[in-house]
Amino acid sequence: MLLPQLIVNGIIAGAIYALVAASFSLIFNILKFMDLSPGALFVIGAFATYAFNILFGMNFFISLLLGLIVVAICGVLINLIVYTPLRKRKADNFSLLLASFGVFLFLTGMILLIFGAEVKSFGFPIEKGYEILGIVITKLQIILIIVSLILFVALQLFMTKTKIGKALRAISDNPRIASTLGINTEKFTNITFIISSLLAGIAGILISLEQNLDHAMGFSVILKGITASVVGGIGSVPAALIGGFLIGIVENIGIWFLPSGFKDAIAFVILIIFLLIRPKGLFGVKTREEVSG
Amino acid sequence: MTILQTKNLEASYGKLKVLNGIDIEVFQGDLIAIIGPNGSGKSTTLKTILGLLKSENGEIIFEEKKINKKNPYEIVKLGISYVPQGRMVFQNMTVEENLEIGGFILNDKKLLEERMKEIYSLFPTLHDKKYQKASFLSGGQQQMLSIARALILKPKILLLDEPSLGLAPNMMNEIFKIIKEINENGTTIILVEQNAQMALEIANKVCVLQAGKIVFKDIKEKINLEKLKKIYFE
Ligand SMILES: Nc1ncnc2c1ncn2[C@@H]1O[C@H](COP(=O)(O)OP(=O)(O)O)[C@@H](O)[C@H]1O
Ligand SMILES: [Mg+2]
Repeated sequence: MLLPQLIVNGIIAGAIYALVAASFSLIFNILKFMDLSPGALFVIGAFATYAFNILFGMNFFISLLLGLIVVAICGVLINLIVYTPLRKRKADNFSLLLASFGVFLFLTGMILLIFGAEVKSFGFPIEKGYEILGIVITKLQIILIIVSLILFVALQLFMTKTKIGKALRAISDNPRIASTLGINTEKFTNITFIISSLLAGIAGILISLEQNLDHAMGFSVILKGITASVVGGIGSVPAALIGGFLIGIVENIGIWFLPSGFKDAIAFVILIIFLLIRPKGLFGVKTREEVSG
Repeated sequence: MTILQTKNLEASYGKLKVLNGIDIEVFQGDLIAIIGPNGSGKSTTLKTILGLLKSENGEIIFEEKKINKKNPYEIVKLGISYVPQGRMVFQNMTVEENLEIGGFILNDKKLLEERMKEIYSLFPTLHDKKYQKASFLSGGQQQMLSIARALILKPKILLLDEPSLGLAPNMMNEIFKIIKEINENGTTIILVEQNAQMALEIANKVCVLQAGKIVFKDIKEKINLEKLKKIYFE
């Protein structure tokens, strides 16, 4: 029963990657550039919750809520302080990507400064895990998968059924036309950053409950998240979910056969293959850059 | 009564000056056609009125107020709606969703539903396809959707950019019939067209644009087609 266990492990990891992928995709759809800052918000979510819960001794769920508020505020501030002025000056997508890398380094550096380098933990007692048909899985891992799936269903409903979600899709398709229909695109950009940050923050909190908190954990998550969103096809919510699971599973099966040091390389190889062969991903949808004429 | 007026309007894309002082006066109920060769600045004129492009000089006056500095999302709220060149429907959204976004600024759900009904009775084809993605519509149907999306707000003035572009002749006729109807129902229209003949048939006034300047304008009755052709093709 090795393969099923590897697949389940892959799904657990994939649930996290999927959330991060959705976080990247949302911003990409609205602003058309790869924003790396969700990698930092992932770390901030975990450390802020840790600070409220462990350092300040607050109730876990209140800490969680406060942690997410911190993350959302950071997301909007990043947009307002860094990206909005850059876009006003007509910065191209590459400049924005570079700026976002700077944001990532700055924020994770701040985390290192504040919390120090040693690995931290929420200190939940280690569970033994259930054994179902020979597959071992802990309660926390089950919760992690369920939370991720619920968030995806909620996100999909939000994008397809609510007025704000539909406006976001319209902006993603054609921001200039959306603006002529009465949509204040700047305002919706901030909404995008709130949602995107929350997704990244929740992913960071979930992983830190399951494993540890490490100020450096944002980097590999950027790689996995971007790969998952590219593999699934940037542009649709379900695609990010499937992309995430796929990366998680391939990676977990892969490290069984390869030395574990190759773990991050697997995602990278998949990313390159997709960029070369199928850049719009498995479920890629048509996007249009700008209004012509 | 004047509803919209531009005075000495100038605009550029970067260093490229495209509008060299446009004066247009639109009266309530007009169907005014702006014709002119490709690249003469027709689309740019509309974009500047809408605030998609900021004017560098001159004035845009709508219902006696200057609107030069306003953003597109504010201008639509005044009652100016836009049907862009090339249709530009939201490809990955259904027909119904496209119309809902058209009605984005209507904050009353009942009102939106009412308007939707009115739109569907004006465009039965759209009703039949309301759950289809816009990308699956034909060019003519997309043009209808684009017009319907703008019309759902019952604008005071409708800016139409080359609605006949790329359509088969019978579809073109149908679209022009609809445009005429919309105007007869009281909506003021600025119609940008390359197809001068078609535009002349339904318009009551004509402006000819050349290299970012109005080189000729008159009410239709006084227009001699031969004279127009001479100006147009010079
Ligand atoms: N987005 C743009 N950026 C730069 N130049 C543009 C842009 N859009 C139009 N132009 C230029 O402005 C001029 C007028 O274009 P346009 O208003 O689209 O003409 P028309 O609609 O009459 O065909 C053309 O020379 C065109 O190349
Ligand atoms: Mg044009």
